[in-house]
Amino acid sequence: MPTHPRPLSPHLSVYRFTLTMAMSIVHRITGAALYAGTLLLVAWLAAAAWGGAPFEAVQGLFGGWPGRIVLFGYSWALLHHMFGGFRYFVWDRGRGMEAGAREWLSRINLIASLVLTLVAWTVFVWR
Amino acid sequence: MDKRIIADPRAHYGSGRFDTWTFIVQRLTGACNAAFTGFLAWLVVRLAGAERAEMVSVVAHPLVGLLLCLLLVSVSIHMWIGVREIIEDYVHEPRVNRLSLGLNTFYAAAIAIVGIASVVKLVFWG
Repeated sequence: MPTHPRPLSPHLSVYRFTLTMAMSIVHRITGAALYAGTLLLVAWLAAAAWGGAPFEAVQGLFGGWPGRIVLFGYSWALLHHMFGGFRYFVWDRGRGMEAGAREWLSRINLIASLVLTLVAWTVFVWR
Repeated sequence: MDKRIIADPRAHYGSGRFDTWTFIVQRLTGACNAAFTGFLAWLVVRLAGAERAEMVSVVAHPLVGLLLCLLLVSVSIHMWIGVREIIEDYVHEPRVNRLSLGLNTFYAAAIAIVGIASVVKLVFWG
């Protein structure tokens, strides 16, 4: 009996946009943003190890307002991706997959990441 | 390699064992990263805008240096696997696929190596 090729998911062009679908896409986008942003962390450490002019340059870069905006975005992306990861841990246990529960997990993910980012920046930076 | 081969169940595209390893390691490194996020936040806040001497004294503390190295390894592996999956999903032309996977490995390894070398330098040579 000949097997038929399994259909590939058509991805974005066909499916109705749902909250969990949007969260999954954002999870991937934040992951990619963090991938690029980790360069900032390592640049900071390497500049500290090198000392001198590179270190002053990096500190100045992160101290200025464009650098602060990038760091704010990075910290939100980090928290959102982390809470998204927690959603996956919940699903790994086979819980939270029903119609209402998965939407609530997504809402908690988004709200927690936004609130915690704002709280952290308020408490530690904008005092 | 194209979509018809990927979709054909007889082709057994992909490695079953590697995919299982990927699943497990992605969750292990993810949990590790989550546990260390508080540590990372503390470190950044503590050393934001600090003088180099202060950075050396904080990072040179053995616990801080060790945790930072572990974090760098865990983050590198996690992001290596994550971007591998993105490349598998979107890049289908064979040569571009292999190039992208190679660049990904290079970037993840460079992040880990440069990061750990910097921490080691700070710990042992100040």
